Amino acid sequence: MGYVWQWQMIWDYRQVFYRGVEVTAILTFWALLIGMALGLVLGLMRSSRAAWLRVPAAVYIDVFRATPILVQLVWIYYALPILTGVQMGNIASASVGIGLHAAAYIAEIFRAGIASIDRGQSDAAKSLGMSYGQAMRRIILPQAVRRMVPPFINEFATLMKLTTLGSVLAVNELLHEAENLINNTYRPLETYTVVAIVFGLLIYPFIWLSQRLEQHWKTRG
Amino acid sequence: MIEKPIIRVEGLRKNFGKLEVLRGLGFEVKRGEVLAIIGPSGSGKSTLLRCLNFLEDYQAGEIHFEEQLVGYRRDAKGRLKPDTESSIRRIRARMGMVFQSFNLFPHKTVLENVIEGPVIVRGESRGAAEARARALLERVGLADKVATYPTKLSGGQQQRAAIARALAMQPAAMLFDEPTSALDPELVGEVLEVMQSLAAEGMTMVVVTHEMGFARQVADRVMMMDRGEIVELGPPSQIFGAPESPRTAEFLRRVLH
Ligand SMILES: Nc1ncnc2c1ncn2[C@@H]1O[C@H](COP(=O)(O)OP(=O)(O)OP(=O)(O)O)[C@@H](O)[C@H]1O
Ligand SMILES: [Mg+2]
Repeated sequence: MGYVWQWQMIWDYRQVFYRGVEVTAILTFWALLIGMALGLVLGLMRSSRAAWLRVPAAVYIDVFRATPILVQLVWIYYALPILTGVQMGNIASASVGIGLHAAAYIAEIFRAGIASIDRGQSDAAKSLGMSYGQAMRRIILPQAVRRMVPPFINEFATLMKLTTLGSVLAVNELLHEAENLINNTYRPLETYTVVAIVFGLLIYPFIWLSQRLEQHWKTRG
Repeated sequence: MIEKPIIRVEGLRKNFGKLEVLRGLGFEVKRGEVLAIIGPSGSGKSTLLRCLNFLEDYQAGEIHFEEQLVGYRRDAKGRLKPDTESSIRRIRARMGMVFQSFNLFPHKTVLENVIEGPVIVRGESRGAAEARARALLERVGLADKVATYPTKLSGGQQQRAAIARALAMQPAAMLFDEPTSALDPELVGEVLEVMQSLAAEGMTMVVVTHEMGFARQVADRVMMMDRGEIVELGPPSQIFGAPESPRTAEFLRRVLH
């Protein structure tokens, strides 16, 4: 076919991609921070034997996993201010929305990781006189985290790609910038290809790192 | 002067849901005494041991360790209420526990396993804890394994490391739950030897075991359990020589052949 790729034009607009990457990185950073912190708390609550901790966590996790993230984002941006009077900016709304969503999945990763550790480990920790916090921090989580690295990297990659939904809240992340660019240049193929490559470059180092970590732990034993 | 028992159990009852696992047990353990617990599978031996350091709660009766009620305290009206976490932890730190499956911390070296309790729970300095840990590991024959990870050890070595870990807390009593049941037969002896030397030094020990030789030679008294009850409790000469209960005789006939 006679399609003529025009990469020069994309190169001329590289500033647009730099801006997009920056916003995507900011969204990813905050969403991840919120997702991790809340995910850990929810995961621990979900693992608790006490129903008053376990049930609310389970409800949160199920609700966020069973509903579309697009709706969650729109809801946080438009409905939350009406209900609470708190109006967040676009980037903040998107970060919080994606973070709250990711927390549900990260909580499940924590819960499964903790559950995968033999009960004998917490028995041994308790029999030494350790508190719940000491046992979690020193014995259970360090072991659980090793098993959590692969699913966690998965979730990280998913989360970074989910930041493209920020465009529905008019956040100028990578995809949004790219779409604006297409409207000016009519070069969707080149533009989307570059977007894909940039995401790949952003995500791949973490996949590589996780594989190295797994290898390291495997050989140490 | 009559010495008070270090462990005193009265009317102990424990159930898992509808299942009654311990049905009114009472016994005492004196300081320096070795009590062996024997009995068929499912008779509640592990559960009893886990109640002693409150890894399991119990529904009725009382357990006293060093004169202190385990797991509960009395309110102003004399009713039993759950004890505070910190008080339960203090009691646990005074009782060493050794498990059938060792339960060493796999992400820590042998030395790190042994100093974990002293450093984290008792707040000892790392240097002091390490010095004591090395001496303990020497004593259980693992001086050359301090920097090794548990998965690289044989079962017998793992269990000896686990005993050192428990001893590092300088416990007043040691609880053993079938410490040799997961071991290859040729590795049982090395663990029993360590336990025997502990007993000889006067450590108070409660040992759930299927090693009848150990119970006969090392224990001061033997407790036979069946279906959540104490069937018989007496010196090894009685249990193994002239059991009073036909259930004891029947159990021994089965395990000794
Ligand atoms: N966490 C638990 N939840 C429910 N039931 C349990 C639990 N732990 C033990 N049981 C039950 O309690 C009974 C006594 O178990 P226990 O482990 O104390 O027996 P045991 O004498 O140690 O047996 P074994 O010689 O096989 O170790 C068994 O019927 C067992 O199935
Ligand atoms: Mg048992």
